[in-house]
Parts: sequence; structure tokens; C-alpha cells
Amino acid sequence: MKKHTSAGRRTAWFFAYLFMALCVAVAVFPIIWVILSSFKSNQEILSNGLSWPTQWSFDGYRQALEMAPIFQYFLNSLIVTVLSTALNVLALSMAGYVFAKKQFRGKNLLFSILSLSMVIPTTALLSPIYVTITKLGLYDTKAALVLVYAALSMPISLMILRSTFAGVPKELEEAAYIDGAGFLRTFFSVMMPCARGGIASASVLAFLEGWNEFTFALLLTSSGNVRTLPLSLSYFTSQFSFNYTAMFAAITIAVIPSIIVFTVFSEQVNASIVAGSVKG
Amino acid sequence: MKTKKILSIALAAAMTLSLGVVSSTVFADEIVINYPTFQVGSNSAAPVVAELVDEFNEIYAGQYKIVVEDVPGDQNYADKIKVQITSGQLPPVCYGAGYKLLDMALGADLVVDITDAVNADPDWAAMFDENWEAVDCRDGKIYAASSESEKIGYFYNKELYEQAGIEPATTWDEFFANCEALKEAGITPIAMDTADGAWCTQLLLGAMIATSGDEGLEFMKSMYPTDYSIQPVVDAITRIQEFYTNYTTMDANGGAYENAANNFFSGNVAMICNGPWMIGDFSDTSKAPEGFADKVGVAIFPGGFVYDSPIEGMFVTKQDDPALEEAAIAMVKFFTSADAQQKALEMQGMVPAAKTVEITDAAKESFPLLADFIDQAAGASVSTATFTGGMVPGLEDLWSTELPNLASGAYTPEELCQILTDFATENAVTE
Repeated sequence: MKKHTSAGRRTAWFFAYLFMALCVAVAVFPIIWVILSSFKSNQEILSNGLSWPTQWSFDGYRQALEMAPIFQYFLNSLIVTVLSTALNVLALSMAGYVFAKKQFRGKNLLFSILSLSMVIPTTALLSPIYVTITKLGLYDTKAALVLVYAALSMPISLMILRSTFAGVPKELEEAAYIDGAGFLRTFFSVMMPCARGGIASASVLAFLEGWNEFTFALLLTSSGNVRTLPLSLSYFTSQFSFNYTAMFAAITIAVIPSIIVFTVFSEQVNASIVAGSVKG
Repeated sequence: MKTKKILSIALAAAMTLSLGVVSSTVFADEIVINYPTFQVGSNSAAPVVAELVDEFNEIYAGQYKIVVEDVPGDQNYADKIKVQITSGQLPPVCYGAGYKLLDMALGADLVVDITDAVNADPDWAAMFDENWEAVDCRDGKIYAASSESEKIGYFYNKELYEQAGIEPATTWDEFFANCEALKEAGITPIAMDTADGAWCTQLLLGAMIATSGDEGLEFMKSMYPTDYSIQPVVDAITRIQEFYTNYTTMDANGGAYENAANNFFSGNVAMICNGPWMIGDFSDTSKAPEGFADKVGVAIFPGGFVYDSPIEGMFVTKQDDPALEEAAIAMVKFFTSADAQQKALEMQGMVPAAKTVEITDAAKESFPLLADFIDQAAGASVSTATFTGGMVPGLEDLWSTELPNLASGAYTPEELCQILTDFATENAVTE
């Protein structure tokens, strides 16, 4: 009987590890494919995408750095995305708290209106946002992208943060008030720490939205001092010419630092995501 | 309380700083022309545009200055300009390219009539022949000026042709016989595509329509036709379906230009329809094998047909400051001058839009295949613009989306033609 259990457990482990290996392969394969492709010629990439490079040439990296200001765009992306994420999370956590804990007339209507913006297609937003930004004199500034990106993630952040704050016990809030804390102190010192899980989730989504956004970055900027990373990848393909080697080299240059940063800080990121999830 | 104050001041300072970042490079009397362009990065015209901008800025130093805005990617450029048109805020100079931007901008009343400026300069005015008028003029007024021509035939692999024992065809019957001979020799005859407007495929299709008779030629010469169910179009699309089934590669259905081009560079196919801008790639060893350029021949289409039409040119847009409009006109004149077209020809093998521009010996030496093609094109008896070039806005996307259904046999040629007709009728453009 014991032998039987042990064999069953080994089979379960085998399938568990097999499943994990498959997950790792699915996650890692595209990254390895891009890195390998950055060393191949255009012909090798198009003829046999899965082959090994016939020679390890760094020409793609040289061309990528010559053709597009990747590092400048990377830095711009970092500044814009961090600021827009911070602005989004700060403003929307306040809104989420009020929607979750306070009663006022028209609350549900206002929340519905703010949530509705999630279903407006980006194409419908292009012209109004372009006109607004140019009229404000913010065309070709990082501030324009920060504001737009913070707003683009508004509905999803609001939903996450409202439900997070709704889950925080009212007694904690009341205890803070009894101890003499004001509205702001209660929000920043008591409610925000309890909502760390939701804040982390909203931050990750807002960051990804800003980091990958292309259309508004193209529309609202014109100079290299402001433009963001996704635009740099368009330098390598046009209607009748293509340089996939340089494009994959550019992607590698752009992605590797993010992977390194995530690997170094993965424990902290995971901890912040699970923190607070068991509170209340 | 103190912390709050410090925080407020810091936030206010940060916002003020960020608002003040709006770039301003205007010198005292110099007029700055912001010029967004997709001719950057891997675009083959990028070195020419960079050189012309430098030259213009040198010649007009202290008076005008072009500041280039990189908009990498042709479609990205068109998308951005379209939004700017709907917002009524265009840059001083726009390039129509193949995206029908001139008509869109004219529809929004944003384009400056440059007829007087052109007529004031006899050399510039001499360039406006009937081909230019069709592309750059509306109602007898000049609104744009072209610098490059779309002169297109097809390239063939001489080695593969030799293996199959064939020569470039002069009639469509010969062309189909050539395809059959290539197939029998184990060689895939032609590179085709369906994605991104199905560029290579639509060139083959348009050539068949234009040489089918008067009705087909009239169709190909008309701008924004609405009836795609006429017999010459149905017949040609029937042939295209046969090509997908019998004479092209497996990846043609779903493939884009780069897949078709790679099949030609790799010797997987014997022919590809495309323009002279492709010539430089034949000797690019990252795309084609060493010595491939020597194997390539060029021909005009059967029936003495060649695509020959100026590409919709640069146009000046209405600005609050008349001096900026003057500067923009000076820029358009400079970029479309005979000298500029000659430079583009010699640097990158770009075919001049003006017939008055001479094909120099230097250009012939640098681009012998181009010189050969231009000689052959001079003898062509029929020429039009491209099939998709005449489509109403939006139809090219639909054509590209629906074409895979024709290639796979899910649609009959008549069904595809009806879909195109319906869309073109619903979105008809009245000139």
C-alpha cells in the first residue's frame, strides 16, 4: 500500500514538473527566439525562423544603435511610465477609497460614467486628445504622455482599488478617527497600507499599459527627447524595406534590462503583491 | 504641516517645469518648418531626405530651417497625418505618398493652392505634364508636386529562367506558358502575398486588367472606381486565384511583401513584381546571397504594360502665418526640383517623377538594372497607376483582409468582386 502511494506521488511530481517545465518553456522560448534572431541575417530569419544562427554576428546591434536612439527612448519610457503609474495609483486610490467607503448623492452614476470610459475605443479618443493636448501647449512633452497614460488606465485601476478598499474593515477606519487621525492621515497611514495588494496590482497594469503604449506616443510627440521605446521599433521596417536583424537586436537591448531588473527585484515585487492579501 | 507645504511646493515646481518643456528652437528671424517624415530609419529614401534637408538648411540659413520629425513606418505617418487632418492642425509640408492624404486634406480645406508659385517658375511649371496633373492637381489648380515616380515591372531570376529554357514573355499567353514551364522544371514561378495590401499580387492583377482591352484600361485609369464586377476585373481575379493555387509559394496566402521578397532573394521563386527601389536589396548580403544581383533581370509586363505614375507629392498646408506658408512652398520647390530628383536617382536609384530629368551616366553605372528597366519602360505602349492606388479610402484594407479567402478558395472571384463593389459604392468619392 505504501509502495503504491509512493509510486503515485512520484507520478504526480513527474507531471507537476512536466507542467512547470512547459510553462517555463512557453515563457522563455519567445525571449530566446528573439535573442537568437538578433544574430541571424534577414534571410535566415525569414527562411527558417527556428534555425540556429550560421554565424554569431553583432551587426544587428550596431545597426540598431545607429538607426534608432534606443537608449534615449528607453530612458524616456522609464520616466513617463513611472510618473504616469504613480499619478494613476495616487489619484485612483483616493477615488477608490471614496467610492468604497463614503456615501454621497450620484455615487453609482459617477462610478458608472468613469467605468464606461473603458469601452471607448482608442481610435475615438485620438482626435479629441490630440486637440486638447495641443491647445494646452503640452504637445511634444513628457507631461502630455504622463497625463494621457495615467488617464488610460483609470477605469481598471478604479475598479481594482474600489474593491480593495471595500474589503478593508470599517473598524480600522473608525479606530483611526477615534485615535484622533484626520481624513488624510487615516487614508495614507491606515487605509493605504491595508490596500497594498490592490495598489500593487493596479500599478503593474498601469505600468504595462504605459510601457507598451504606441499610438499616443506617436501622435503626441515629435522629438527624440520625449519619444518612448515602442516607437523605436518602427525604425526597422517600412513598406518596402525591412531589417529584422536590427529590430530583434533593438528588442533585445530594450528587454534585457527589464528582465534583469525584474529578476533582481522579483522577491520584492511578489512580496508586495501578496502583502495585505490576507488582511481583514 | 511643514511636510505638506514642502510637498505642495515641490509638486507645483515639477508641474511648472514640465509645462515649460515645450520645445522652442526658433531663432530671431529664422522660420522653422517642422517636417514629419517616414523616410527615416530603414526606409530606402532616408539618406536622400537627410541630404536634401541639410542642403536646404545651408542654402536658406538664417531665413528658413527644416526641423525633421522622425515618424518611422509609412503607415504610422499616414495615421498621424489623418488625425492631424481631422483636428485641423497639419504641419506646414506633408507628403501624400500612396495614402491619398492630399484629397483628405483638401476635403478639410487645409491645402494651399500653389498654382501661382509654380507658374512663376518656368522650370518648375514644365514638370507638370498630364501625369502630374492627374495626381497633384484638382479642378485645374496645382496643390502638390511630385518628386518620385512609381515605374514598375517585374524582376526575374535569369538562372532559373535558363533552367526552364524561357525568356521574358511579351504576351500573357507566353507568360502563362512560362509559368507552366517553370513549374515543370520544379521551380515555383512567382512570389505573391495577401497581407499589407497584397502589393506584389495587386501589381500582377492590375497589369492583367489594364491589358485586357478598353474596358479594363479605362477601369485602371479611373480614380476611385466603384464597379469591380466588370468582366476584365472578374477574369483577372480568376487568374489570380489560379496563381495562388498553382504558381506560387505556400506562404503567399497570409504572407506580406517581405515574405515574397525573401522567396525571390532565396531563389525559391523565379519572379516578383515590384519597383526599382528593390534593386539595392539584391546586393544586400543580409537579405540575398552573395552575387545574387548578377542573376536578376528586369522586364515590363506582357502586352507592353508598365506602371508609370508620379507618386502623390508634397503639399503645403494652410498656416496662421503667411510667411510660414511661403517657407513651405520654398521647401516643396526645392525637394521636387530637377536637381533634387537627380540626386535621389544617383544616390538611391529613385525614379524621377519629371520626364525632363535626365537619366545620367552616373546613375546608369550605379544602377544598371534600373537603366535597363527605364529603357524598356520607354517602349511600353500601355501604362497606368496601380490597382490599389485607385481604390476609395479604406478599400485597400478590405481587399487585403478578404484576399486570403480567394486564395484558399473560400470565395469565388465573383464573390470577391462583389464585396469590393459594395464597399466602393457605399464609400464612393465624388471628385
